Amino acid sequence: MTDLTATQKALGAEVAVRSAPYFPRKKKAITGRSIAVLAFLAICALFFCIPLYVVITTSFKTMDQIREGAMFALPNVWTLEAWDHAWNTACSGTRCEGLKVGFWNSVSILIPSLALSIGLSIVTGYALALWNVKWAGPFLFVLFICAFVPFQIIMFPLISMTATLKVYGSIWGVAIIHAVLAMPVLTLIFRNYYKDIPQEIMSAAIMDSGSFWKIFFEIILPMSGNILIVVLILQITSIWNDYLIGVTFGGLGAQPMTVNLANLITISTGTVRYNDNMAAALLTAIPPLVIYFFVGKLFVQGITAGAIKG
Amino acid sequence: MTFRWSRWSPQLALMPAGLVTLVAFIGAILWTIYLSLTRSRRLPEYEIDWSDWGRQYERLFKDDAWMISLQNLIVLGFGSALAIVFGFILAAMIDREKRGESLFRTVFLYPLAISLIVTGAAWRWIFNPELGAEHFIHSIGLTWVNASWLARPETAMYGVILASVWQSAGFYMALMLAGLKSINSEIWSAARLDGVGLFKLYTEIIIPMMKFTFVTCAILLSLGVIKAYDVIVAMTNGGPGQSTYVPAYFTIQALSAKGNLGFASAAAVVMLLITAVIFLPLVLLTAWQQRRSGARG
Repeated sequence: MTDLTATQKALGAEVAVRSAPYFPRKKKAITGRSIAVLAFLAICALFFCIPLYVVITTSFKTMDQIREGAMFALPNVWTLEAWDHAWNTACSGTRCEGLKVGFWNSVSILIPSLALSIGLSIVTGYALALWNVKWAGPFLFVLFICAFVPFQIIMFPLISMTATLKVYGSIWGVAIIHAVLAMPVLTLIFRNYYKDIPQEIMSAAIMDSGSFWKIFFEIILPMSGNILIVVLILQITSIWNDYLIGVTFGGLGAQPMTVNLANLITISTGTVRYNDNMAAALLTAIPPLVIYFFVGKLFVQGITAGAIKG
Repeated sequence: MTFRWSRWSPQLALMPAGLVTLVAFIGAILWTIYLSLTRSRRLPEYEIDWSDWGRQYERLFKDDAWMISLQNLIVLGFGSALAIVFGFILAAMIDREKRGESLFRTVFLYPLAISLIVTGAAWRWIFNPELGAEHFIHSIGLTWVNASWLARPETAMYGVILASVWQSAGFYMALMLAGLKSINSEIWSAARLDGVGLFKLYTEIIIPMMKFTFVTCAILLSLGVIKAYDVIVAMTNGGPGQSTYVPAYFTIQALSAKGNLGFASAAAVVMLLITAVIFLPLVLLTAWQQRRSGARG
């Protein structure tokens, strides 16, 4: 399923064509239809790029040029003014301190959320996959169902609980809710990964007087590099991109960047500065996009694992 | 001693997750179901008038905005299904062509990495009635084109659908591509030898072979549609009027803006029921697939 095998297959086909020129199929495909297919794909790719192009160019334009209404034109003068506004002075609600507030909130939400959600689910997945636990089957089934429960049905009770625990409206409140809501899916991902570890390794480890935690830290954790990085990327992007949890549990003091951005683009009194809005949108999108362009393959693995196994 | 610990540690290690499931999921769901039977307004009340326990549900289905939400849910569901069709076409073409595969994959999948708030912001700007794409299209002479979809109640949902398709088509493409790659490559040459046309090959052989992938995509899509909230907030805020309300948006609006707890809980319970109806086939499907792979292995 991985791309490596796919490209190898593709390469193999390519080699076969070259070494066997009398094989007519691939040769025919290189002409006519192949060009049509590539043209169609290129047009689709263009459609996918239009919003990004519009957002980037708008963010570098001046408001004077935007008022002329040529949306798809390049900026006459490239200026970073809008980026400066978006970062330093854009208003979110009544506060006009820019997106940097939300950015640092997002960063400080991210770290405890990652630690809590991955810590909780990796141990749970390990215990469910490799130890004889009563009720493991039914528990997995319940987790599978929980992964699909709509947030709205548990929203008010969770607000009440976090308020009682005095974490509502704080970074920790948001982080705890992220960990709670991600737990079912992540546990299933870890459990699916660990269940393929041969029983012999576990038997040997237990014989070797290994305790639950000792086996976890000395044998299992060092084996989990691949899955950890996939889950880490999945979690970083989904926590960074989250809006609903941030707006519900962040109160006024712990609003992530997405909430700032939503306030900026929806509640606009007076003249709307579209270039500021687009610069703010880009600032919010840059961290996950950087991750995507550098480790896209792992990102895709993460979302498909999260979607299918969850 | 060690032996006993190794017996008890797994159970202890499962305590936090068990507690979370019990309290934050099962307990919270029951709590909301209970609240939906009460007369709670801004603050929870715990008395149930059993002679009139369904009053919140009655009110809900008499509420115009809720009925619009349900309609929009169906519209959005069918509209977003285009993402699956589009995703399959893209996947089929990439799979046949092979050239430029990684480039096209990268381009088609990048919207998935971005927050839906950002996606909504971008499309909101493109659909801007005064300065957006419409202005540009009119300026090149096509003045009869109406492209400020979000400004009109009749077309606003189509704008939301376009943004959702843009955002998720790449995801379905990736799933379909994985499905296509698992198909035995001999089928292609066999079909060619038999002289089967390309269209017939896809509709009568490939798509039936991939029915499991298609059903998975359809279920994931339906579950995603029920959860649609961020994109509505960023693009329309439910407007113009209430024309782009969806159940997820309606429920949160009832809770946070109107402060009507019992009513919002009833809406949330209906959302849960809709999810369950979609979810049931998934459970059956997974069970079926497991049995199949069990029989094969």
